[in-house]
Amino acid sequence: MTAQEPGREAGRVVPVYAVTGGRTRSTGRDMPVEALVTVTAAGGRPTELQLEYRTIVELAVAPISIVEIGATLGVPVGVARVLVGDLADAGYLDIHLPPSAGSDGGPSVEVLERLLEGLRAR
Amino acid sequence: MRAEQDTTLIPLKVLVAGGFGVGKTTLVRSMSEIPPLLTEQAMTAASIGVDDAAVVPDKQTTTVAMDFGRITVDDSLILYLFGTPGQSRFWFMWDELARGCVGAVVLVDLRRIDDCFPAIDYFENRRLPFVVAVNEFPGTDAYDDATIRDALALPPDCPLVRMDARRADSGLTTLITLVEHALARTTAAAS
Repeated sequence: MTAQEPGREAGRVVPVYAVTGGRTRSTGRDMPVEALVTVTAAGGRPTELQLEYRTIVELAVAPISIVEIGATLGVPVGVARVLVGDLADAGYLDIHLPPSAGSDGGPSVEVLERLLEGLRAR
Repeated sequence: MRAEQDTTLIPLKVLVAGGFGVGKTTLVRSMSEIPPLLTEQAMTAASIGVDDAAVVPDKQTTTVAMDFGRITVDDSLILYLFGTPGQSRFWFMWDELARGCVGAVVLVDLRRIDDCFPAIDYFENRRLPFVVAVNEFPGTDAYDDATIRDALALPPDCPLVRMDARRADSGLTTLITLVEHALARTTAAAS
């Protein structure tokens, strides 16, 4: 199913809130907007998925954040979070949370040192 | 749930704050490796300056546009820059954005110095690392650092830099100053 119906990409056929079933909060997971997602090895090509889900899986071939997914799909971050959560639950995506997730602190000394090294090398 | 604890890939974030029109969007875009993107953050209306949240049904939402950019630092480290909303009534967004951040760049336009006070207060109160970056608009080189520090009542350890938000190299220097500052503080806190 590589060929899209003409015009399918141009306009949304189904409101995105219908795709998420009206949910704007993901179930039980606190994903910050910068959380990264990647396709799982076992994910395969999700031809059976709805357009939004399929687009996300295709985007996540390279690491991409929740906020980028939202902007690319043209949906609010909260909606992107729900869709990503569904795909992770179904085994299509791995989620990579920030190291400081779940605490109030910032990144560790080790992570900051790597960041500094990387920025200085640019 | 798979690989929830996978730390091979590490997302990081830096906030870019300051008054309206000070150059936040310019800085984010000049540094980002991806085309300019705006995202919409859905927010409950209850969060927006309504005193009695109980009378506002949960489902009323508004959306707030937010600039962001991306810098792939190395194979596994990806840094996101978020331009914080300029209007103070959207500051409820900051708490979510600020959680776990490396720190913040507070942009200052010396012609409208008051505009940055709320941002400075925010990061000081939450003990988040920040640098103050004077975006060099024409005519703003007349003030020396001591005068600016005094006017902003900056803590002695808070870095003050001058930059051109339109230039990626200038932004990079500012970011490096911020990370050095964050590292120094984290190291001090750990010892």
